[in-house]
Amino acid sequence: MSTSTKSKDVARPVPNPKRSLITRLHMGTGVVVGVILAAIVYYLLKKSLLTYTDGAADPLSPHDNNILLLGTMFTWSIGFMIGIGALIGPWRWLVGKDLTDEEILYMAGDGQGVKRYFKYCTDHKVVGIQYLVGVMTLLGVGGTMAMMIRTSLARPGAHFVTPTVYNSLVGLHGITMIIAMIIVATGPFGNYIMPIMIGAYDMAFPRLNALSWWVLFTAIPVLCSAWFLGGIPTGWTAYAPLSIQAGPGMNAFIATIIIFAVSTAVAGMNITTTVVAMRTKGMKWNRVPIFVIGSTISVALAIPAFPTFMVSMIMTGLDRTYNTGFFDANMGGSGWLYANLFWIMGHPEVYVILIPGVAALMEIAPVFVRKPLFSYNAAIMGFAGIAGLSILVWAHHMYIAGWAPSLNGAFMVTTEMISIPTGLLFLVLIGTLWRGKPWMKLPMLSIFAFIWDFLIGGITGIYLSDVPADGYLHGSMFVTAHFHFTLMGAALTGAIGGLAYWYPKMTGRMLNERAGYISFWFVQIGFNVLFFGMFMAGAEGQPRRVLDYAALYKNSNLISTIGAYSVGIGMIILLWAVIHSARHGKVAPMNPWGAKTLEWTVPYPVPLTNFDELPIITSDPYGYGKGK
Amino acid sequence: METATHNEVSGGKRLASAIAFLFLGVAVVATVGFTLHSVSKESQPKTYATVNGTVTVDGKELPHAFISQSVFPDDASARANNVNRTNTHPWPFYTDSHLVLPAHSVVTMTLKVYDGGEELNTNYFAKVVGTIDNMMTVDGQQVSSLPPTEVQHTFTLHGLPTSTQEPLFVNVPLPKVQDADMEKNGSHLVVFSFVTGGAGEYVWNCEYPCGDGTYAKFGAVMGQNGYMSGKVSVVNG
Amino acid sequence: MANSSDHNAEVLTPTPGERLTHFFARRDVKRTTVLFFLWTALFVVLGLVFYPKWMPEIMSKEMKSAESIMIWFTVISAPIAGLVLAIATNSFMDMHRGDNPPEDGPAIRTHGPIVAVWTVGSLVFALVAIAWGLIEVNSQAVAAASDAKSAITVEVTGSQWLWTFNYPAQGIETHELNLPVGVPVIFDVKSADVNHSFWPVQLGVKVDANAQVTTVIHTTPTKVGVIEVKCAELCGLYHAYMETNGAVMSPSDFNAWVLAQGGHTA
Repeated sequence: MSTSTKSKDVARPVPNPKRSLITRLHMGTGVVVGVILAAIVYYLLKKSLLTYTDGAADPLSPHDNNILLLGTMFTWSIGFMIGIGALIGPWRWLVGKDLTDEEILYMAGDGQGVKRYFKYCTDHKVVGIQYLVGVMTLLGVGGTMAMMIRTSLARPGAHFVTPTVYNSLVGLHGITMIIAMIIVATGPFGNYIMPIMIGAYDMAFPRLNALSWWVLFTAIPVLCSAWFLGGIPTGWTAYAPLSIQAGPGMNAFIATIIIFAVSTAVAGMNITTTVVAMRTKGMKWNRVPIFVIGSTISVALAIPAFPTFMVSMIMTGLDRTYNTGFFDANMGGSGWLYANLFWIMGHPEVYVILIPGVAALMEIAPVFVRKPLFSYNAAIMGFAGIAGLSILVWAHHMYIAGWAPSLNGAFMVTTEMISIPTGLLFLVLIGTLWRGKPWMKLPMLSIFAFIWDFLIGGITGIYLSDVPADGYLHGSMFVTAHFHFTLMGAALTGAIGGLAYWYPKMTGRMLNERAGYISFWFVQIGFNVLFFGMFMAGAEGQPRRVLDYAALYKNSNLISTIGAYSVGIGMIILLWAVIHSARHGKVAPMNPWGAKTLEWTVPYPVPLTNFDELPIITSDPYGYGKGK
Repeated sequence: METATHNEVSGGKRLASAIAFLFLGVAVVATVGFTLHSVSKESQPKTYATVNGTVTVDGKELPHAFISQSVFPDDASARANNVNRTNTHPWPFYTDSHLVLPAHSVVTMTLKVYDGGEELNTNYFAKVVGTIDNMMTVDGQQVSSLPPTEVQHTFTLHGLPTSTQEPLFVNVPLPKVQDADMEKNGSHLVVFSFVTGGAGEYVWNCEYPCGDGTYAKFGAVMGQNGYMSGKVSVVNG
Repeated sequence: MANSSDHNAEVLTPTPGERLTHFFARRDVKRTTVLFFLWTALFVVLGLVFYPKWMPEIMSKEMKSAESIMIWFTVISAPIAGLVLAIATNSFMDMHRGDNPPEDGPAIRTHGPIVAVWTVGSLVFALVAIAWGLIEVNSQAVAAASDAKSAITVEVTGSQWLWTFNYPAQGIETHELNLPVGVPVIFDVKSADVNHSFWPVQLGVKVDANAQVTTVIHTTPTKVGVIEVKCAELCGLYHAYMETNGAVMSPSDFNAWVLAQGGHTA
């Protein structure tokens, strides 16, 4: 096994892994250790903070309260990781030993059935399923919040919830969905499918793989705690100085982002290394499946992007706890500094979300049209071009910030240039469709939905990126509709297509087709109605993130709400299909779609090391077609 | 899930399961909705203005409505200064949050104010705006503005610009109780009147930065609904 | 997209004209062509009808320019959208149903000229969008510079959760934004607390309000009417209610209003 690190020169007794500490640790012990450590730190911190302020201030001042909460949240995360056994390996290594082969095999979850999903399991297939469940949970939570937002906006007058609750809904819906969408394709498919696709036994760093998932897991309760700490008033952009003014719930946001950034850094490095170093023999760069290329470009783009978000959150945290004034203009700081740091992450981030979804559909298209992928090179240039340009466009979110009006022209140039590589993505898809007879299955349907949705998102993006139009549209519902068309209509549609496509390999069963179709039409029609209404509201002049609006906008908002309910129903049906088919679905053959990539050459359940013998690749996986 | 044996169920059973799941899903979302809604509702009990007689303003005879409430300091300073309050909060608060006023009437609001104060962020809110003659009375004295450094809170009423309701804007700064008087449970009585138009939904909030320890002092209590902010419904009949 | 010479290259070498005739005689090409015109027309109509219908009254040059960009960019993207959607729809109509995959299609791996034309085409499209934007940005900057002398200045302050307006030359301070028609106006915008975004909707301009710094935006109201001033940057509890009334009025009405507010006219 490629993962075992043998140190033959150290003679030591081989412990029976059944009696090793590793066998006794799981999610439950993680929670227990995390909660206990967090409680202890909470108590000690509170006591020392009260002493520090001479015991006079109970309740604590907002600054001290922020110290207390941030300290407790980070301790929970670290405590959980200790409790689940993440540090056993590093500790052994530190004291000059290492895990035994039996322990390594145990950690890979060999023969442990369902239990391994609740353990610090290094098997990439287990991590993939964990990510899938995590993503669906986050989408469910974020979607429920979306329903609340739309219910609240169904008619004017703010009858449903108070502004505090509404603002929290908006912000927490945003960040939950952003986190879910960043991992929606690279999490489940990047972990489960991708190593098999490139002909590897496992990821390059299996323990880091487990680490990335469980670190992310610890962020989920932290994020949820925002609700019980008074919510967040800032939206997911968390602009300073509003975030510095915000109440205790903001600490949950800050801690979540910092923990999440650690997780993505680890996952991004792991996926990139795996693809660079562990492709099987003969898989030259021009034979790598396009989904692998897309995912790698996406996570490689995330590696430089997310640290700036983490840094901006550390600075926000310091401003909130020790009054450092990074973003406080009254102390010589600047809100523009925050906006820059945020969008230097923020714009690459939308492509981190988009690219794997598109790449999944490009992987699917040749299989169902039975034609080679049209212009593999154009697809790569498209992804690479988008990734390259995306780090140069961040300030188009700041055209009207007043920060550097003279730079607006330059950022408009780079932003409009993105339409060139984006155009290549369309070309690849329609080129593949041309003269083919698409096999109408769920994954294929997603491609058509993607083309329509991404086209609308793209065209509206063209005028949003033109400075004079942005002067009117910025901060309006129009922007909200635009980015939902790209992130939800394009990226999530791509991920759902990917789920329908790889579901047989991940569960051994076919996804219920009829439920899939019903869900598809509920979601797609609802989605288009929903955001048509929002384009309308935005063009009419309704700002984003408002709880109440004038009577002028009541039709457009009602349209949106009706569409939203349709999306909600569709998503519930999809969730049913995913859960039900996993137990009761039709048993899938090894290669139900007749695809040529490597993941379809292994049986279900996929063996622990995927392949008995690594395959040798002689061509790319798109050799369909008559003639030539 | 682990074993690839046939485990299929009949079509009818599958449909029943799907429908049950759909209802369950909708029920979960609806439960979340009802919970949020009821949590939100609590903080907004309505306070009605009472109409008593008529009054003539600019030659028009209009119904005269009265409404009164108090503004109290936060818990700690209330305790230190023995301020008597009907209920307690950790933060300073207006006793009534959701006000219901009659349309096309003169509304006279009486505020008994107990809190201390400092300086405004925006001096405009030290002016009396939108009341009859842009005046108010403080302890019986006619006043048109306060020094921006002598304000405790403001009652600032505004709404969304829309063709379906008339604009209504009122800003009344409340004079602070001097520190020495705070200890003696001191207060001021502020009275002002304004004319309502047709029916409409408005909001009011305080423009005095009273969220201590936060940026621009607009966090903490200022970020919560119901202490220093609320709704104003102007209704017919 | 794929060229028809695949099939008959061995028989005889057709002239380009014949190849083109052949190409357009194909059933899928014909259908795609029809679909192309339908989709293109739909997008043209969408752009020409919906935006003017939805958007508020145009009361400045900036608003006009924003609306024209939205309309005309939709119209010039219509053929591209039309082509993409025509090919997708054509393919959708050829769908294969059933539990087994369809027969393989032609093994078209790429087509150099098509990729080249597409890439250059999208470059041209991007350059048009860029040029349009840069010309507009430049003309607004030029106008701002030339109008500066005759402009009135309004100091806008965003406070959580209200806008206030100070007219230094008139000596008045208000919570409503009233402006004389035809007179250039310079807004000096700042915030008393967190970030806001000053948005007089019908004037089509917007700039953020920041603490401790003044940002500037310029426009000239061209029409008498009602304007709404909104906040376009989430600013906390009552962000939704941070809106206020305003109006563009004739210079004489404006002067009368200034005097009524206790100010003085120039």
